[in-house]
Amino acid sequence: MSQSYDRGLIEDFGRWREFSAGMWAWILHKFTGWVLIGYLFMHIAVLSTAIDAASGDPATYTDTIQGLESLLVVRVLEIGLLATAVFHILNGVRLLMVDLGVGLEAQDKSFYASLVVTGGIVVASVPTFLGGGVV
Amino acid sequence: MSTEQDEPTAETTTDADEAPAQTPGDRRREEKQARMQVTERERAEAAAAADETVQLKVFRFDPEVPEKEEPRFDDFHVPYVQGMTVLDALIYARDEFDSSLTFRHSCRQAVCGSDALFINGSQRLACKTQLSALDAPVRVEPLPHQDVVKDLVVDMEHFYDQMEAVEPYMQSEEFPEGELEEQRQSPENREKIKMSTRCIWCGACMSSCNIAAGDNEYLGPAAINKAYRFAMDEREEDDIKEHRMRIMEQEHGVWRCQTQFSCTEVCPKDIPLTEHIQELKREAVKSNLKFW
Amino acid sequence: MAERYSSFEPNGATWLLQRITAALLVVLLAFHFFQLHFLNHAYEVTFADTQARMEDPAYFATMVLFLVAAAFHGLNGIYNALVNQGIEGTRKTIAKYGLTLAGIVLVAQGIRVAMAMAGVTIS
Ligand code: HEM
Ligand code: SF4
Ligand code: FES
Repeated sequence: MSQSYDRGLIEDFGRWREFSAGMWAWILHKFTGWVLIGYLFMHIAVLSTAIDAASGDPATYTDTIQGLESLLVVRVLEIGLLATAVFHILNGVRLLMVDLGVGLEAQDKSFYASLVVTGGIVVASVPTFLGGGVV
Repeated sequence: MSTEQDEPTAETTTDADEAPAQTPGDRRREEKQARMQVTERERAEAAAAADETVQLKVFRFDPEVPEKEEPRFDDFHVPYVQGMTVLDALIYARDEFDSSLTFRHSCRQAVCGSDALFINGSQRLACKTQLSALDAPVRVEPLPHQDVVKDLVVDMEHFYDQMEAVEPYMQSEEFPEGELEEQRQSPENREKIKMSTRCIWCGACMSSCNIAAGDNEYLGPAAINKAYRFAMDEREEDDIKEHRMRIMEQEHGVWRCQTQFSCTEVCPKDIPLTEHIQELKREAVKSNLKFW
Repeated sequence: MAERYSSFEPNGATWLLQRITAALLVVLLAFHFFQLHFLNHAYEVTFADTQARMEDPAYFATMVLFLVAAAFHGLNGIYNALVNQGIEGTRKTIAKYGLTLAGIVLVAQGIRVAMAMAGVTIS
């Protein structure tokens, strides 16, 4: 088989237009999962200012949180985080159902539903996230 | 046609004075002739009326021919006939335009599993895919994630290895008393494994799975389905089922499946592959919980 | 082919744990988001508020559970993704211990923070 032809990865990523619902769900779930775990590390790092705060100066914590929260970028990123988390939760529930063997015939529809509901929840929470205290 | 000429002479001599009645064979042949005339007429009419052709873009590659060493796509314009499948069109292209065009086929009726191809971006059996259901030009490529040997022919060795790895044969050792007794299966159990028995080893599912593409040792949907077919068969004893589950539970077995459903979507036999894999995962967890 | 069977690993256990933590996280993450963005607004959070919440043992325990579940779920998820990608041998071992270590650090630091918030100090 030394002369056979290996077409490599073009098959996978060059064909994104032909991906099915299940494949998109997998890619998005992966992506959102990585974002969430990345955020978790960052989150704990930021909250670590609480250690200084506890040993004397509560302002370090309060100022860090409120300082970050006053930035528009942070608020926008938070909406992104919400979208990421909501999608991961909804699709995660979809995956749990699939694992339990429930509603397998509707797996593509439930993926589209996850997307739509994520969109809805995110749009509905924009005011909450952008309201109050942005510089 | 030459084959139909000697029989009537033989029959008329024996049956002549008894009754001029037709034998069923005669009737069949007559009907067939009539049918053929009709289809031929239809075909001629269709060709004349529209001289409709379908454009095929076919992947070509042959390491042994200098001009074909570089993979490329060739265009074929095949006259369209109602009911034509992709396989029909390929056969036409080979017979009429380029006799070196190479592809596997045999049964032409979705039974042998030799003509799974990558047609317009998904894995399908060429003989089961109507041209009328596809957008032109029709792109025909060999199955992805397998090495191409020549044109549309891929190396299936690895796929067959994975199929063999799950020991795809009945291993039951207890036989019922009496020489003529059968090993019975309840209708419910037969129903349970019904879909899983339909596999024709075409490899479409394996080719569609991007986990199998990344992990060469992954057993893949067809092999897991094959294991399901035997693990769920009540005629095999518990210890054999346990042995089968151990194969399924290993590193490159069921856990690799990421429930993307691509295999289930392409399987020409409509086997619910993902469902079977998931059931085996649950089965594996259950049997492990029992050990704890 | 026979040698393949010998590599039996209890993958089923981590698979199951990944699902169990996922189910826990649905509840915990929803609660957390709701708590800190809708009931209380993140931009108004002060150390005093945080302290008040953390001093409740039930809240403290919930948050630690949340942390442990998320750390396991997230890092095991990454490990699975890497294995699916086909890493093997040394790189796989490195990934396994690297991620475990990251998890331990994350959980330890998280608990330290939570204790500081709750006003328990050990250092
Ligand atoms: C809130 C509820 C959550 C649910 C229902 C959920 C569900 C799931 C499920 C079922 C998987 C397994 C996918 C598979 O192996 O086929 C998964 C993967 C993953 N989850 Fe979650 N998850 C949740 C929250 C989180 C959180 C908070 C994080 C971050 C700390 C996270 C990070 C990940 C990562 C990194 C993966 C691996 C993705 C990959 O395969 O690359 N998840 N999630
Ligand atoms: S399971 Fe379906 S797609 Fe896979 S080899 Fe068998 S028939 Fe082909
Ligand atoms: S030619 Fe046999 S399956 Fe298509």
